[in-house]
Amino acid sequence: MTTLARGRTDLLAGLWGGLALSSGVALTATSGWLIVRAAERPVILTLLMAIVSVRAFGMARPFFRYLERLRSHDRALDDLARDRTDVYAALIPLTPARLGRRSRSAVLTGVVNDLTDVVESQVRVRVPVLAAALTLVFATVLAGALLPVAGGVIAVWALVTVALHRWGLGLERGAQPVVGAARAEVGRAADLVARHTAQLQAIGAEGEVLARLDRAQDDLARALRRQSRGRALVTGGVLGLTGIACVVMAALAVRSDLGAPVMALLVVVPAALADTLLPLADAARAQARAEEAQSRVDALLDQEPAVAAAREPSRTVHLGEIGTTDAHPGTSPTVQLGEIGTTDAHPGTSPTVQLGEFFTGETDPKASRAVQLGEIGTGVPHLRLAGVTAGWVDGRRDVGPVDLDLPPGRRVAVVGANGSGKSTLLAVLARALDPSAGRYLVDGTDATGLGLEEVRGLVAVVDDEPHLFAADVRANLVLAAPDADDTAILAALHVAGLDGWFATLPDGLDTGLGAGGRGVSGGERTRIALARAVLSGRPVILLDEPVAQLDHATATAVMRDVWSATEGRSVVLVSHRAEGLDGVDEVIDLTADSPTSASSAQLTAASTPKDRP
Amino acid sequence: MKPFDTRLLTAVPAARRPVTALAVVAAAQGAAAIAVAVSLALFVAAVATQGDWRTRGVWLLAAFLVRALLAVAAERVAVSAGATVSSALRRGLLARWLSVPVDERPDPARASVLATEGASAVEPYAARYLPALVAAVVVPVLAVVALLFVDPWSALIVVLTLPLLPLFAALIGASTRDDTTRRWQALEQLAGHFGDVMRGLPTLVAYGRARRQVDVVRTVSERHRGATMRTLRLAFMSSAALELLATISVAIVAVVVGLRLSHGSMSLEAGLLAILLAPEAYWPIRRVGQEFHAAADGAQALDDFVRAGDGLGSVTAPEPSPTHRTSGWGVGLTAVTGPSGVGKTTLLDRLAGVRRTDRLPEVTAAADRLGISADLGSGAVHYVTQQPFLPDGSVTEVLTLGAGDVGPERQWEALRRVGLDGVVMALPDGFESRLGDDGFGLSAGQRTRLGLARALLSDAPVLLLDEPTAHLDGDAAALVHDLVVDLARTRRVIAATHSPQLAALADDHVRLGARVEVPA
Repeated sequence: MTTLARGRTDLLAGLWGGLALSSGVALTATSGWLIVRAAERPVILTLLMAIVSVRAFGMARPFFRYLERLRSHDRALDDLARDRTDVYAALIPLTPARLGRRSRSAVLTGVVNDLTDVVESQVRVRVPVLAAALTLVFATVLAGALLPVAGGVIAVWALVTVALHRWGLGLERGAQPVVGAARAEVGRAADLVARHTAQLQAIGAEGEVLARLDRAQDDLARALRRQSRGRALVTGGVLGLTGIACVVMAALAVRSDLGAPVMALLVVVPAALADTLLPLADAARAQARAEEAQSRVDALLDQEPAVAAAREPSRTVHLGEIGTTDAHPGTSPTVQLGEIGTTDAHPGTSPTVQLGEFFTGETDPKASRAVQLGEIGTGVPHLRLAGVTAGWVDGRRDVGPVDLDLPPGRRVAVVGANGSGKSTLLAVLARALDPSAGRYLVDGTDATGLGLEEVRGLVAVVDDEPHLFAADVRANLVLAAPDADDTAILAALHVAGLDGWFATLPDGLDTGLGAGGRGVSGGERTRIALARAVLSGRPVILLDEPVAQLDHATATAVMRDVWSATEGRSVVLVSHRAEGLDGVDEVIDLTADSPTSASSAQLTAASTPKDRP
Repeated sequence: MKPFDTRLLTAVPAARRPVTALAVVAAAQGAAAIAVAVSLALFVAAVATQGDWRTRGVWLLAAFLVRALLAVAAERVAVSAGATVSSALRRGLLARWLSVPVDERPDPARASVLATEGASAVEPYAARYLPALVAAVVVPVLAVVALLFVDPWSALIVVLTLPLLPLFAALIGASTRDDTTRRWQALEQLAGHFGDVMRGLPTLVAYGRARRQVDVVRTVSERHRGATMRTLRLAFMSSAALELLATISVAIVAVVVGLRLSHGSMSLEAGLLAILLAPEAYWPIRRVGQEFHAAADGAQALDDFVRAGDGLGSVTAPEPSPTHRTSGWGVGLTAVTGPSGVGKTTLLDRLAGVRRTDRLPEVTAAADRLGISADLGSGAVHYVTQQPFLPDGSVTEVLTLGAGDVGPERQWEALRRVGLDGVVMALPDGFESRLGDDGFGLSAGQRTRLGLARALLSDAPVLLLDEPTAHLDGDAAALVHDLVVDLARTRRVIAATHSPQLAALADDHVRLGARVEVPA
């Protein structure tokens, strides 16, 4: 399991921060002393020392603050880089089966945000707390040196304030999950309306979904008000206590035999300290948020891989093994990201394109039975499932027992109610999930006995949320086949029915896609995923609800191209929709008579799909 | 970005009250900060001169107490304002989208981002930036006015040096703008890379490309760190410069006060007041500068909202108005037939009002002939699409979505008529069983029938059915045919269908694509 870079408090950043805050306190204190002393009209030379100090503290404060911010942010970004790398590597054996069965993209986006929250606590919590603690010590010593009992006042005041902050942190911790849940519900309600607007209009549900949104937003407002109690308590409490501390300090000072300037100094110290402690109200919230984020990431990473082969120690990441980047001909390997936008070596290419360099290059070691340039590899394997059952969670059976025979070139559709195990079946075939019983045979050999990457290298998956990377068209395709040249890429685009789309691209294969690039429609996205699968040359193609998000006309057209593009390969199509079922050799219906008994689904080969005149 | 986008108040009337409250509390807070500075100065003077420090101590305590209470109030008001403003924006926009056809809405993915993250980004804009802005306007003015009474010379110094802060900020900003913009672009790409690779992780794993990316993630993260630090160094440097400028300005006040004090030309009280009031003039301006950058996202989102909403505030939730529930469209069954892709669904979309424009003259002609034009949200038309929308929820929730308050008897009746009563009765929790990923699954045919049951529960005088028997076998199809005919006795039913049996039952026919050649 991966541990995040938690608990690493940067002492130097804390020290700079402490010096900055202490300078501020010293500035106020010496100013107070100076003014009162000046009013006593001494020889001006006696003030010189104080004047120099005031000036020095005044300049030291921004200087040290600058050092602190620079240092703490640099350390935090260093942690972030490390955590991102570690978490990414740790997620590889857990992908895809342990990322949840739906919206994996949302889960992964959540991890990205959680990591940021965790690392931010370095800047927002640990360094400020350390700096404030140092300052409190400094102020206690300063006051104690002038008047011992005054040091005691500062110490007591500091302890009470710390207790107040702990209380505030407790309130924040209590409120954090409530706010998180309320935000999530608002997000769901808003997302529902934004994505399904037409469907809701069609059935006249506008009023109801808006009412749901209203309820969610009211709950969120309530949760936020509750959350604000922590900050309100700390801010108000610190200010109130400061007033008391000033007066107590004065009461002690006037009873002492100190001179007026020192008395003034002691009275203004609590006021100056308040300015250093008030910003800590924000730290409590950041802390509560970081703790929650941390536990989410831990829970995700704390899982065992779903495939036994991925648990073997020999399969863990060895960074040294990873080869250097083989830049694709046409992209310059010398382009440094930091230089983007300064000099543009290739006129007309956008910065996005150069990110493509990250996706070219060697495949993982032992990955595939090196298949050439989109040609189907020699020998389409004969896949068989014999009495296979499988479940996403240990001890649960989501599919089976199922028999499936997939001789080379055969096309099988798996249909059935959702929940009947269609995607589970596909996950077993893709070696994302081990069968819990039964056998998965590749050309007669048990798949679990073969290398994980070897079997995975046989199959290409096209699902309903294909990801397009923020890179050019070429890079988005060659990730499936690193050695493919432009001719092979264009051929793959052609068979995937993307000729018309490709003709509209301003820069051909160099056109940027994904975030920051050119937008593509749902149908185009699915077709690009299909082109990837074709280009990979993998002899078996698994289609997991490929047209689930598309309208009927587009779905029909896409499926037509799917069948022509996958000519000669074995295909398993999972779909709850009718489009494309006319192109298969066999339909397997996993649904039993009653949807509740889906797990005991019997294998029935239905003849033809209905209602396709 | 303007300091304050007044469209917030014009476009979102609901924002006016909380923003006003926010401004009032922030102004009062500023006044309290001045009061604390004044009472502290007087208190210190009394302590130093062994004067009546007890009375002044009470005043000081009172000032701190007021400031503390106002801080509590400000916290609450700011949070409320943030929630109210973002909620009003979100609701206004979604209500508007629900009242217009698909042609006038952004695509679903963009719409979702705007309605979720966009609206949330406005929260800190209202909750943090606006109070800072008010403080930046109110507090320096109050501080200068107070100084005028106490010591006009100090006031003059502050008035002369104060404009240097925004001027310096603008100069630094202008001289680094190009550089910053360029870096931000690179930075955004680098920052986006990790998210991109993470979201694409399943794809990378599937093609055996994931492990190679570990090294890339490390490299890019390191570059991200470098690029971020270059940008931050500049930002921190200018922030330090501004702080130094403010410190020097206060120091000038202090030096002048000190000299006059030691010459005896100024009282200690006035000197302390001047030295404690002067900093109050500078910090709010620095703070608003910090919040300004944090609020940039919110300001951008606000801009997107006002554009997308186009008169957001005027939109209210579309309430079903009984006046539209006319039954002037008669009764009977109309069958819409024609080959796939000819525009049957587009025709139904138009009749339902969810789509306004189309490029198919034949569809337009057919729509005109059928003469049905309902307003969105009027409840006059209920439209069962090919993939009826079934949200995650219990059977009851799915069934009554859009139908309002419907008793269990009518729900059973509706399920019975589509032949699903047995299925639901067999479920362990009956009506309360959950549909969807974590619940029990439905076949495509069952989904269609559930959609039809929902149509039965609506009292819309017009029903539009898109391929109601597409996924059904013989028995179920016959059941649905009877149901459709039955419905057509009391309502106007228009069904797009490939089924000759259903078409044969129709009173009226619309044939699309008769003369048009349709590509296979």
